[in-house]
Amino acid sequence: MKRRIVWILLGLAPLLLGGALFIGAGEVGWADWGTPLGRAILSLRAGRVAAGFLVGAALACAGVMLQALLRNPLAEPYVLGISGGASLGAALAILAGAAGTFRLPASAFLGGALALALVYGLASRSGAPALYALLLSGVIVGAVCSSLLMVLLSLAPVAGQHGITWWMLGNLQVMSWPLLGGCAVLIAASFAGLWLRARDWNALTLGSDMAWHLGVRTRLAMMFGLGLAALMTAAAVALAGLIGFVGLIVPHALRALTGPDHRRLLPAAALGGGLFLVLCDALGRALGAPGEIPVGVITALTGGPFFLALLRRRPRGGWLE
Amino acid sequence: MIPALSCENLTVGYVRQPVLRDLTFQVAEGERVALLGPNGAGKSTLLRALTGLQPPWSGRVRLFGADVRRLPAAARARLLAVVPQELRAPAALTVEDLAFLGRTAPLAPWRAPDEADRRIVERALVYTDMNELRDRPLDALSGGERQRAVIAMALAQEPRVIVMDEPTTHLDLNHALEILQLVERLNREQRVTVLMTSHDLNLAAEFCHRLLLLDHGRLAADGARDVVLREDILREVYHCDIRVRRDPQSGSLLVLPARRLADPRTGRNRRVHVVAGGGCAGELLRRLSLAGFRVSCGVLNRQDTDARAAEALGLDVVLEKPFSPIGADALARAAALAAEAEAVLVCEVPFGPGNLVNLELAEQAVRRGARVLIHDRNLELRDYTPGRQALARIRRLLAGGARPWHQISQAMNALG
Repeated sequence: MKRRIVWILLGLAPLLLGGALFIGAGEVGWADWGTPLGRAILSLRAGRVAAGFLVGAALACAGVMLQALLRNPLAEPYVLGISGGASLGAALAILAGAAGTFRLPASAFLGGALALALVYGLASRSGAPALYALLLSGVIVGAVCSSLLMVLLSLAPVAGQHGITWWMLGNLQVMSWPLLGGCAVLIAASFAGLWLRARDWNALTLGSDMAWHLGVRTRLAMMFGLGLAALMTAAAVALAGLIGFVGLIVPHALRALTGPDHRRLLPAAALGGGLFLVLCDALGRALGAPGEIPVGVITALTGGPFFLALLRRRPRGGWLE
Repeated sequence: MIPALSCENLTVGYVRQPVLRDLTFQVAEGERVALLGPNGAGKSTLLRALTGLQPPWSGRVRLFGADVRRLPAAARARLLAVVPQELRAPAALTVEDLAFLGRTAPLAPWRAPDEADRRIVERALVYTDMNELRDRPLDALSGGERQRAVIAMALAQEPRVIVMDEPTTHLDLNHALEILQLVERLNREQRVTVLMTSHDLNLAAEFCHRLLLLDHGRLAADGARDVVLREDILREVYHCDIRVRRDPQSGSLLVLPARRLADPRTGRNRRVHVVAGGGCAGELLRRLSLAGFRVSCGVLNRQDTDARAAEALGLDVVLEKPFSPIGADALARAAALAAEAEAVLVCEVPFGPGNLVNLELAEQAVRRGARVLIHDRNLELRDYTPGRQALARIRRLLAGGARPWHQISQAMNALG
């Protein structure tokens, strides 16, 4: 079963992604490819599905990595302030009028990486960061970032305000195809890099000292893993703004299903996270028609109970001891 | 022959505090060495330095001749495996998963474990008798099984040296024996060099050829059990009374902790009289009676703090009514007690007209040749007698053979 999860998810993916193309803001059904309007609708929907899949996959993988490297079941891009830093970076880019294909994700990445470095540095005075110190400083850095964001927002000209607000709400509507493409490349490359070093992450779940004894170059691996996790988060934030919960629930759910081996867990989390977010988005559109319910609300509403049920059923499954 | 492990003038520390100082020793391949020492002696730090985790301040650690800090991580992991004191792992990890983690270093990231890797893991599981439990998650294992699973992981590294940090601390006696027998077998059959720290001197002596005794970051002793497990050495290092006996049946050495060194035998049946007052003597009285002296005390005012302390300790106390000068009757009783004491101690008492006569007890003791110890600090400040009579009499006492003291340890040492 453990080994088959990835294949099952892989089989489900085309079905679900294809199905999601049928769901639109106005109506449920296949848009007519023959008309220009139909083509436009289809392309909007396809962009949205692609963005949802990428963002979900990125956030879930980042969650897996942070939980493994920080050995902390509560680690998540949101909790650790990476999302906050990335959104601050992205907002700065938007305000500076540099919301281009690579500048937006680049400044989001810079913000996320800085936030992560700050949190890590604050929490580890000597050697490995302590669990509570890490969470506390993550929450604090995240809070500071979001208040800085508010400052920016209140000082920004009206046009900039609109741009930031629209983006901050957490929205999977594609702003530009090149941005989607750029983020897709970033996310795919990061995923490949992480998957290739899956054995290192497995060893690092035993702690960085034990990983050292097992022959992992711990400092390098740690920086590589955290850096790529920050990169993925930044790409996700640049694409879709702030969407919480995916990075926490999906890794736990899939770890309970596939076990803690990252060679299986990472692809499973990428597929699972992507599909989950696409489903949530489709649900938000279907339920909220003719408007839509923000996808972040749906992730929290559906993911929360699912997560709790999982915890109750297998209290010792996965990571939590 | 290149030694498996060697420390050369190793000095290691954290922040500003050196923990290991100029340590030099070698471990030959195939040895079974136990690293002993009290808490804080530097055992854990030495393990961290030996495995390359802790960079030395000076000196170096060599693993089969190569500087352990310079060795590539994967090469180091093929030579040296570590069994930590406590492994914190994801709960759902199975025994087999854990054993495969031992193959982390030899496997390139894109390569799946092949037949050879499987065979090695298989052998490690069989060797540690974990084959039947291979699919169990770690959190469903007992302490001993868990430890065996970790050893299986270490074996899967196919190391030439295994370093174990307190492998038996959390185990009861039969499981501890089981683990140590496993280690002994490994060492004998696979020629794996073993270095382990231990708090259990007896088990360590039973299973290791050689003992290294660490004290304050230095080697206090190094050698076979007969050389290291000696009462005088252990007493020095562990600061407590230790007896070493040979078990008549097995011939092995047994280390038995005895009572604390500062035990009642020091003062047994020896009488001491203390001139106290004003609450200055509580701690001295306590220490003297803990050390086993028979302490008498007086003359004290009934409401004095020292009087209460002395009564609480069950000492012989001579008391006088509150707010009245010491009378001839009370003084005579105190003198009778002091006359039987081998020493009279005068504490940091404030002297006034009322208690000045207490000094007579000291003067009598000096005259009969008994030992007299007089607290000599702040004499001027605590002399409230007209014409500084107390000061004068104390000076005369000190000139006449009484010895000064001002710290409790001095007084205790003077009593011997």
